[in-house]
Amino acid sequence: MSTRDLVLVALFAAIIVALGLVPPFTLGLIPVPITAQSLGVMLAGCILGAKRGAAAVLLVLLLVAIGLPVLSGGRGGLAVFAGPTAGYLVGWVAGAFVTGLIAERLVRESQPELAQLLSFLAAAIIGGIGVIYLFGMAWLSYMTGKAFTEIALASLIFIPGDLIKAFVAMLAGRAVLAGYPLLPART
Amino acid sequence: MLTGLDIAGDTPLHRASARLKLILLFTAALALFLVESPWLLAAAAIAAAGLYASTGIGLAEGFRRVRFVLFTVALVALANYVFHSLTDALAVLFRLGALVLLAAAVTATTTVSAFMDEITRLLRPLERFGLVRAADVSLAVGLVLRFVPEILARYGDIREAHRARGLRIRPLGVLVPLIILTLKDADTIAMAIDARGFRRQ
Repeated sequence: MSTRDLVLVALFAAIIVALGLVPPFTLGLIPVPITAQSLGVMLAGCILGAKRGAAAVLLVLLLVAIGLPVLSGGRGGLAVFAGPTAGYLVGWVAGAFVTGLIAERLVRESQPELAQLLSFLAAAIIGGIGVIYLFGMAWLSYMTGKAFTEIALASLIFIPGDLIKAFVAMLAGRAVLAGYPLLPART
Repeated sequence: MLTGLDIAGDTPLHRASARLKLILLFTAALALFLVESPWLLAAAAIAAAGLYASTGIGLAEGFRRVRFVLFTVALVALANYVFHSLTDALAVLFRLGALVLLAAAVTATTTVSAFMDEITRLLRPLERFGLVRAADVSLAVGLVLRFVPEILARYGDIREAHRARGLRIRPLGVLVPLIILTLKDADTIAMAIDARGFRRQ
């Protein structure tokens, strides 16, 4: 990893931490506040690509583990990893990696705007929602005893909010690609 | 502003090494998942709460830190009660509750630098295979702590700029310039690091 990559990873991790400290966004139409931190996970993949994006998220989780209150609402410490929802956090790393992998393969700077937008949306939904829920639910099934199916179904109420985040990640990913392209292309 | 969650003190838990505490926490987690009886698990949860309280954290702060995780534990226990049995619910409640409190006790008694030393040691085998460099990890951690306040200040600046021009503050309008401005600094920061020879390549 070059020094520039190392710095990009650290800066993006700092952005994810900062997104947990700013007050939650409210989108015009929807009155529900959106915590921006899981949006940061999708963005890490969309903007930095698979390897650096996953490294940035891993760095955030490392800060959590060593006892810094860097998750939204000032949460942190090992207790976060002992709870039933820890799988979603661990899934962040894989989620950013898969998001980045798909974005690297689909997105080209020479493409028309619509193709780029759709590629980013696919990457954010598959990596940032699909993969994260896969990890989160697998962990839940281990931690929660017999009521796994019911709890897994209940966790689906967060999907609409996550779809909004994927949409924001798509727009922001494409805007950053236009302004300061960093995403490595992969064939 | 980004300070660690450790509480100053001189209890046996404070004096124990980070490695010992992590090994004990891991062993306790395995043991908690092997026990089925809610009574034994309740005893474990009470012992864990006692240990957490003995770190000198104080009731209000101690509760504030774990309330969110304990809330998710309670939800999971409730689901077990509604769809299965009281025994299942109590077992899950006390098992996860004990684990959360033990983990919080380790965090409250271990400084960030003690954790960092332990992580550097754990990374050494990986370093031998050339997968990751321990020095890079601590450099990255330092960079994050250094730049979070800067990014927050920049976030404030961008909002002010929007307000000054009478623009409505929308998530995208703030997020995109924030990311681009921050990542554009990477080249200068990398150059500064290399100029000082921090990574000795």
